Amino acid sequence: MSLFDDLEDPLLETAQMTLRGRDGQQALGDLGWSELLPMLDIDPEARRAVFAFFRAQGRELSVSNALGQLMALPYRDVSGGSGVTVSAAERRSPRRGVQYLVVGPPAPGQIAVDRPGLGVSLLDAETTAFRTVDLPGGPALREIETDIDAPETWIPESEALARRSRRLQLGRLAAAHEILGASEAAFSVAVQHAGLREQFGRPIAGFQAVRHLLAAAQVDLAAIEALATQAVDTYPELPPLHDAVLKAVAGRNGRRACERSLQVLGAMGFTSEHSHHQHHNRVLTLDTLLGTSIELAHRLAEAQRASKGALPDLSLPAAADFAG
Amino acid sequence: MSMSFAPTRAERAEHLDVPAYTSALDTWLSARPDGLVGATSPLANTDSYMAATRSLMHDLYSSGWSRYGWPEEVGGFGGSILHRAAMWELLARHGVRGMAAFEHLEVLGPTLLALGPSEFVSEVFPRFLDGTQTWAQGFSEPDSGSDLGGLRTRAVPSAGGYTLTGRKIWTSWARFARWCLVLARTGPTESRHRGITALMVDMTAPGVDVRSISQSNGHDELAEVTFDAVEVPGGRILGDADGGWKVAMHVLGHERGTFAWFRQCFLQQTLLDSLPWSEPAADGLLSEAILDLASVRAMSLAALRAEHHGALLGPRAAFTKLLLCDAEKSLYDWVLGTDPDLAVDPFDGAALERRAGYLFSRIVTVYGGSQQMQLDTIAKQVLKLPT
Repeated sequence: MSLFDDLEDPLLETAQMTLRGRDGQQALGDLGWSELLPMLDIDPEARRAVFAFFRAQGRELSVSNALGQLMALPYRDVSGGSGVTVSAAERRSPRRGVQYLVVGPPAPGQIAVDRPGLGVSLLDAETTAFRTVDLPGGPALREIETDIDAPETWIPESEALARRSRRLQLGRLAAAHEILGASEAAFSVAVQHAGLREQFGRPIAGFQAVRHLLAAAQVDLAAIEALATQAVDTYPELPPLHDAVLKAVAGRNGRRACERSLQVLGAMGFTSEHSHHQHHNRVLTLDTLLGTSIELAHRLAEAQRASKGALPDLSLPAAADFAG
Repeated sequence: MSMSFAPTRAERAEHLDVPAYTSALDTWLSARPDGLVGATSPLANTDSYMAATRSLMHDLYSSGWSRYGWPEEVGGFGGSILHRAAMWELLARHGVRGMAAFEHLEVLGPTLLALGPSEFVSEVFPRFLDGTQTWAQGFSEPDSGSDLGGLRTRAVPSAGGYTLTGRKIWTSWARFARWCLVLARTGPTESRHRGITALMVDMTAPGVDVRSISQSNGHDELAEVTFDAVEVPGGRILGDADGGWKVAMHVLGHERGTFAWFRQCFLQQTLLDSLPWSEPAADGLLSEAILDLASVRAMSLAALRAEHHGALLGPRAAFTKLLLCDAEKSLYDWVLGTDPDLAVDPFDGAALERRAGYLFSRIVTVYGGSQQMQLDTIAKQVLKLPT
């Protein structure tokens, strides 16, 4: 199995089959999620299974709190309280400032809210107030409404710092995989449609303009997959900024693949009865978390410019690292 | 430092490990051997570019570095494509401007080794590695560019092998080449891709004429090659008689797939070299270049690994090729945005070189199979869309 053959990743297939038509939390249990997570750093197969789950979740538009659980891994050793079960994911709102969101259904325990410069607030899930963000196809986001400035417990900035980049890395890798899955699903609906929909007496897939639109979308998806595969293979020794590069490409290419798919679907894809907007919503929603593709791309350019070439490995590792 | 010493047996064994090889080569290059210095100065024209690169290849061969990654039967030291990938990345990092005709080590080399009659290839390949006898690829013709199956250059059986007559065009590096891999029609015209044979043609044979093509970017590595009843010995068939299509597909898998790694090494270096000019106003273009370069780097790395594990890339090589096109274009969009001198300044050597690079980046969607052909390939062979 590689990016160059027709074979589907068996881990991805398993995750997709487990999720199909079922409750996301239940699927996590069936896949042994709580046993997989602690193996992430040491077992490449477990790592591949974890990230394959997010891609499957995107494809099936399932809802679970897997993202929050994954991002809570850096807080596993935090003692006191009921234990951190999920980490919130932040997004920047031009209207209301930074918002902290919990993805998926509520879980007992503490919610970690990481705030650079201020440490990590630990909120008790039972007493935290939320506002639900209800979007068709969305990942079931809940905005935290409780005042996070005065938590009962917190992790001081000095200890939060070391956990921050790992939390972001895990979150961005997972979100990128889920964006990949959701845009792949939107794309496969468009491919199917092109083969069935007839105009001028033949399937529109026969028209070169349509074929090229779909082929270009396929290349966009392949680029996300290549970067995502590389991230999973090299984790936890990711090249510098690779998580930002991956998530920026996922957001940009995922949106582009959705737009090209919509063009092939025509006006039908613009209706609420068609599934397209649900996949598109999933992509758009995840793109806002942990840095949008626009924000991340801009920051990458700034970092590269400021480095004056001091970041030769900005995007990726040397070939030598892949001898294995 | 002009002396080069071949590695000892112990060093050779140690350098079969790619990270050890990379680190040792890095040290060697850091001492700035003569061949490296020549190949890192801005290159005024195609001839000086080729001469400097040839001299670098000579040094790399005599010191052994370019022999890793190739089997012993053809003058190599063993190892895999990952050695070659690491070598060219380091050369780019140390300021080498490009591969010149040695691009064909990565475009044609793997096919010559996989499908070649071993005796002939074993004889000539070491001379390719050491820089003395380079190769060219005779695929495109005046009337068949994208439509490779329509080629008309004809090879007819003769007493000693074949007599070759026809014209090839856009043949990169042809006027420097000693050998050319020529696709010729050996079946009837209507046999299309079934009646093609790949011949290894001596460019010094009577009847071969090379006319270089002056390009809009100031260089002239492209050429038109005429074969007028050129005698090709029978042992110079690559693959099987009438089996040229398979050879072509093998070459294209590398030209469109793994080759992207080698080219992106130089693109990434161009990005780093251009940072001193960068302005915040062009950050939008810079970020596109960063993302596109990262994409082709990841995809071509996957291609290298697939090759390393013995897989054929197949139609998905088109992904890599298209991502390379995107990266080269967005990189040079940014280079132009940061350095408008390249549009108008004929006085500065560096600006001229960037101008050549910029203009070349506008044509990358044409060579090696046009962007439209790559998209067609994906639509038909990967997505399997009905027509």
